[in-house]
Amino acid sequence: MTEVVTKTELDEAFAMFYGMAASIKDLASPEPEMTEAERVGAAKGVFLKAIDAEMATQLDACVKCGACAQACQYSIGTNDPKYTPVRKLELLKRVYDRELSPLRWLKRLYTPDLTEADLRAHQELVYDACTMCGRCNLVCPSGINIADMVALNRSALAAAGLMPAELRFMQEGQEADGTIFGADEDLFLYRIQDLQERLGFEIPLDKEKADVLLVTSGLDIHLFRDATGGAIEALQHMGVDYTLRTDGYEGANFGLLSGHDGTKKKLTNHLVDVAIKTGVKVVIVPECGHSYPALRFYGAEAHGGAIPFEVMTVSEYFGRAVMEGRLKLEKDAERRVVALHDPCKVGRWGGVFEEPRAIIEAIGWELHETESNRAYNFCCGGGAGNFLIESADQLKRTGYRIKMNEIEQTGAKSIVVSCGSCRMNFEVGKVKAGDTIPVESLAALIAAHLPKDKGAKA
Amino acid sequence: MSLLDFARGPALEWAAVVFMVGMLWRIGGLTLMLRNKVLSKDRTPEPWKGGLRTMFTRFSPAPVFRRKVAFQYIAGWVWHLGFVLVVFFFQLHIQFFKGIVGFGWPALPNGMIVAMGAVSLAVLITLLIRRMLNPVLRMISSFDDYASTVITALPFATGLMAFAHIGLAYETMLALHFLSVALLLVWFPFSKLFHVFTVLPSRYALGVKFWRKGVKV
Repeated sequence: MTEVVTKTELDEAFAMFYGMAASIKDLASPEPEMTEAERVGAAKGVFLKAIDAEMATQLDACVKCGACAQACQYSIGTNDPKYTPVRKLELLKRVYDRELSPLRWLKRLYTPDLTEADLRAHQELVYDACTMCGRCNLVCPSGINIADMVALNRSALAAAGLMPAELRFMQEGQEADGTIFGADEDLFLYRIQDLQERLGFEIPLDKEKADVLLVTSGLDIHLFRDATGGAIEALQHMGVDYTLRTDGYEGANFGLLSGHDGTKKKLTNHLVDVAIKTGVKVVIVPECGHSYPALRFYGAEAHGGAIPFEVMTVSEYFGRAVMEGRLKLEKDAERRVVALHDPCKVGRWGGVFEEPRAIIEAIGWELHETESNRAYNFCCGGGAGNFLIESADQLKRTGYRIKMNEIEQTGAKSIVVSCGSCRMNFEVGKVKAGDTIPVESLAALIAAHLPKDKGAKA
Repeated sequence: MSLLDFARGPALEWAAVVFMVGMLWRIGGLTLMLRNKVLSKDRTPEPWKGGLRTMFTRFSPAPVFRRKVAFQYIAGWVWHLGFVLVVFFFQLHIQFFKGIVGFGWPALPNGMIVAMGAVSLAVLITLLIRRMLNPVLRMISSFDDYASTVITALPFATGLMAFAHIGLAYETMLALHFLSVALLLVWFPFSKLFHVFTVLPSRYALGVKFWRKGVKV
């Protein structure tokens, strides 16, 4: 493997990036001016459009047992009942009861309508105190999909002009530029040139046609260049006909994270269009958890019909190659004990569990599973854009502590992760907690264990 | 007309009518709502398998949650099971149903029914007290949650008292038992007790959702 970023470079970039991320709240545009009626009307409009028979059935299935509080890292960590997951659905339930329920003629008599104050009070619950990780879905005896309904709450608040300033900054920026953190085309090209020089081969850029489109993210362009570099090096090693595109390199989707459905659709559609234009068979989304559902499980919805390519995340693509014998990796000299973090959007919400484990096994490291693993994994503490929200700082630390306690119990010497924002959360959490355990990118690990001679390629 | 005649006559009959109409209205309303269509390709084929799986797996908590939620799962199991067995396998209840449907079925011994009824009642009272004391449950509970527990417990209490000749005269207790059942029937379609009809479809929907993504839960 070619070292595409040294530890010193990464530390410096991290410090700079952390400073930049910490300042975005001050850079955000002012909250949109809307009357109370406009805010409430917009929020209710989102709810009413989304509630279908399935969601109504689930809303009517809750028996208020409170089990969901026992799965949520914020409820467990703070012991504060206000963070009980099902409580985050209260406004949605009220709108359903008053406007759509078969019993609306009755429930309207005693169910209060929404107010702007309700919406504002809800902001902390559905942004700061929920990463939509979906762990609560797995403990609920009624099988209620609380996480997706929290996502709907985010959409309602976004429509009401009440998303947190940090996410508004990110959403508006990406709506305008298509990218995040100012990682514009110039910076992308600079990074590609930088990686090219370090890797020692020409990175295929803007090929008109290719089999595989590799997507990156502003986070990786600025900071985790080893993740993008690792994926490029592995694709090159495998002899794959791949390309990166200057018109489609950003995998992040702050429309999805902020709840702004217009931006979400626009960004996903853009990537779909680029992939179709390039005729690719596979789009590999970067180590960026939410970029996976944004394209894999929303691409067809945004496009309005089936999409003619597969969407895979980095760990899935290379993990399958390892499992199928198409990619051989060299065993590490050290049998390091590691813990694997399954990013919620890729694991619990994407089913990618065995692939990263196959990679760890292939490089000869010893995986010690956390008590909660695979579908039951705890969130890193700051997913779904929360790592940028200043007011969520204490909650992020709470979530981080729960996660890290499980990791420490495994005796692991490193954490392996295939999601940039999880990695960012771990790094920030480590600094704040004084922890020192290294956090490794799975893509970088793959590149680090590629056989020296290309004959190892299947 | 005595109180008992009223209770087992018009009160129960009208309660049954309200129950039937209410249930049909609510089930029909839910069924007629639109459904969003999924366009993305499934990671695992035949998602109905995931739906069926989750309908059954969710009867007990996943191992990782067992320590934390065992009580509420077990408590739920105990009183629901007790409710079904007491309602449908108590000798006098079977005679009552036989009068309606025209046939009967074997009963469980009275001693067993009384024990199950008492345990169920104790569990319901415990759950009610827990709901009042537990900060999480207190915060998320509404009038419906408290009332539903009380209204579900009343037939157990009145039935046991009538059977054991405790409290008021037997005929009065029996009338109160019928009235408590009538109240339960009227309350059922308009309250959270309706979850009896939504819980399995809800689990099915979640199971399908996860299965589509390649996750078996």
